[in-house]
Amino acid sequence: MRPLDLTEKDPSKKVTIYLDGKPYEAYEGEKFPVAMLANGVYWLTTSSEGRHRGAFTFGPVPVTVNGVKNINGRKLKVTDGMRIERQTYTDFQEQVEIDEGKPVLQYVVDVAVIGAGPAGLGVIKEIGGRLTTALIEEKGWLGGDLKLKSVKQEGFGDPKEALEELTELPENTRVFLGTAALGVFDKGEYFLVPAVRDDQLIEIMAKRVVLATGAVDSIMLFENNDYPGVFRRADALEVINVWGVAPGKKVAVVGAFPEEITAELDRWGIEYVVVPNPKRVEGDDRVERLIDWNGNTYEVDAVIMADGRTPDINPMTQAGGKLRFKRGYYMPVLDSRHRIRDGIYVAGSAVSIKPHYANYLEGRLVGAYLLQEFGFEAEPCVYEEKLKEYEPIARPLPRLPLDELSGEDVQICGCGVTLKKVDDVVKSGITDLQIIKRLTHLAMGFCQGRYCLFNGALLTSQRSGTPMDRLDIPVARPPIKNVKMKVVAGRD
Amino acid sequence: MPTRELPEKSEITIIGGGIVGVTIAHELARRGEEVTVIEKRFIGSGSTFRCGTGIRQQFNDEANVQIMKRSVELWKKYSEEYGFPFEQTGYLFLLYDDDEVETFKRNIAIQNRFGVPTRLITPEEAKEIVPLLDISEVIAASWNPTDGKASPFHSTAKFALHAEEFGARLVEYTEVKDFIIKNGEIKGLKTDKGTIKTGIVVNATNAWAKLINAMAGIGVKIPIEPYKHQAVITQPIKKGSIKPMVISFKYGHAYLTQTAHGGVVGGVGYELGPTYDLNPTYEFMREVSYYFTKIIPALRELLILRTWAGYYAKTPDSNPAIGKIEELSDYYIAAGFSGHGFMMAPAVAEMVADLITKGKTDLPAEWYDPYRFERGELRGRALQMG
Repeated sequence: MRPLDLTEKDPSKKVTIYLDGKPYEAYEGEKFPVAMLANGVYWLTTSSEGRHRGAFTFGPVPVTVNGVKNINGRKLKVTDGMRIERQTYTDFQEQVEIDEGKPVLQYVVDVAVIGAGPAGLGVIKEIGGRLTTALIEEKGWLGGDLKLKSVKQEGFGDPKEALEELTELPENTRVFLGTAALGVFDKGEYFLVPAVRDDQLIEIMAKRVVLATGAVDSIMLFENNDYPGVFRRADALEVINVWGVAPGKKVAVVGAFPEEITAELDRWGIEYVVVPNPKRVEGDDRVERLIDWNGNTYEVDAVIMADGRTPDINPMTQAGGKLRFKRGYYMPVLDSRHRIRDGIYVAGSAVSIKPHYANYLEGRLVGAYLLQEFGFEAEPCVYEEKLKEYEPIARPLPRLPLDELSGEDVQICGCGVTLKKVDDVVKSGITDLQIIKRLTHLAMGFCQGRYCLFNGALLTSQRSGTPMDRLDIPVARPPIKNVKMKVVAGRD
Repeated sequence: MPTRELPEKSEITIIGGGIVGVTIAHELARRGEEVTVIEKRFIGSGSTFRCGTGIRQQFNDEANVQIMKRSVELWKKYSEEYGFPFEQTGYLFLLYDDDEVETFKRNIAIQNRFGVPTRLITPEEAKEIVPLLDISEVIAASWNPTDGKASPFHSTAKFALHAEEFGARLVEYTEVKDFIIKNGEIKGLKTDKGTIKTGIVVNATNAWAKLINAMAGIGVKIPIEPYKHQAVITQPIKKGSIKPMVISFKYGHAYLTQTAHGGVVGGVGYELGPTYDLNPTYEFMREVSYYFTKIIPALRELLILRTWAGYYAKTPDSNPAIGKIEELSDYYIAAGFSGHGFMMAPAVAEMVADLITKGKTDLPAEWYDPYRFERGELRGRALQMG
């Protein structure tokens, strides 16, 4: 087994890959960052500012594969003999192949459900085959965040068993895995949801759309928070429970919500320490130690940020939804039937942060509303009642220690925007988040603010005294997930 | 910094806090005038922050060439004084047939007459300037190295900050609702934050100009309609990869360049409207990708980070309406820039400030006469792309 393997892998799939010329053991079909992690290699790419980055915090992971630059390393699946080289964000392939491109695939359904976590699966379950549906999931699996858990979950019990039942889908549900929706476009008669799977453009035309697009992990602001070896909660859970690889030999769990991570680490016997108040990470090309605000130093090789989650607002603002600020995060304004506007429903942790089972119930609720809208009998009130038992989780608004941090070392955004850069603009007297965004490039890069806008809002609010609910929050623009120009460049 | 507090009075009030309103305020305040800008959202939010960053002198008529020559001088001066990104990296028009070449030869002659050093170059020379170009169908190019580009965000913010240093007031998130007029004289403006006493008003609202003209109740016909144009930006690539603004009329009336930040930015001639809707469309994403990858094949493998929409506030001849409206004392308009407001702003600011403070200007203001539509004296259509 490799240094960080938790489980025995299929020996028939064993292959050799090369990073900057050095051979490593990997398994056919494994994701490149996972294969490197198993070998104890965290640094995979270099930011425009020359910072070494891994694949589990934020920022893109461009790598050169068999001589071709600018390949997304985060999604790269390894094959035998693959030669990978580190590169910087701005390296790109000048000589490219030109092909005709693949013809666009088109599908017409009653309902398009974006996101196949417990909420999306709940919608499909409730509809029960009475309407034609498309289920679009960016990850390579059904079950979303629930799939990342191995310990018992309230309402569901064992996640594996629960998912076996939830993923029995009616035959008129068309499933698109590994497929990123680019946005929702209003065409009057229907909504167009363009999506991309492996450079294949897919156009899904749907009478109704459900955004079950989930939440994002909160990025914590501490010094060198972008170091290779710093993990977002979901990425740490994925490497453990999907790929059978440990995030590190000894792990620090930081943030206000350590429980679900520590439960998984306990189960796998991974050594960890809980550090609620990280100040700085240090090391050479990777995490070697963590220092907290009390001056304690912890020798660790990975840090997992578990500071709560907030709804991913981008799919909702792109689709025309409005936001409000409640329980410590921005959430969609919904009508009495869970819609951001006519025809577009929202369910799950895209609405509010709550347990998996509550998200599932909310999916069932939206499924019931949809059935009624299409003229079928349904009883949404059953789910409305059950959901009353779940008060969504409030996330305490962190107080950023702006004047005590070395702002140059803190990355607020993976695209090379430091805390200092944003703070300097705010301190110069510009207190409108819309203008701060444009002067600093915060929320204008690869993730379009998914992981950085909230902290930008928090900083602005804290410095200016403007409450979070009064900030002018930028709207996400299509494509809500990055897409290569060639994929959409074809002409019909 | 801009406030949300409306002052009680101001000698001059500019409605609209885009680059045009902000630079006019900057120029007037610099000359010692008391001036206030009222912006209904945040500075630059209308069309300026949505623009394609280009600044060119390659126009097809004398007035626009002259005004842009002056504008480039001012862009250079202020970018150096205030420290915002403005680069004279040129405009490169790719030409694909003899008719296009003939048209551009005529334009070049006009430009040269006013000292703009545009020249016709070979496809090979064009490729030396932008090695990523596909020149297989290009037969010549029109090249002016003194054209350029600037960051709309940093330039507008700097002009705003310096305008305030000169004493101008910028009021954001405040919407003008009506004029207070007595005996043909402006006495004040009503807004959603209260009333401001003022005697001179400048309508710098571009896409919304007809609404403000209607509030002012002026009879003269100044047709300005908002058309939706969209833009795209890719992931950042190595700096210096696409230095000039590259134009191709053959491929979708496209314009594209690299921003100071590194992304490839631009648009195509995909126009919708008249409309105030600014939702980006899927069709644009496809069109722009189709055309851009024809012009520069390496763009095929770059990620699109986002698309967005802004207005071309268009007049029938694609030239703005700039000048004094005689029916009302004292009312000026500087609007209808048809996609050229950002590049023209510094010179327009000088022209409008001249008209207000001296009653005349050395710049060719008559070309932009707001009465030309009513008189049926349309100008030649200004060269437009995107």
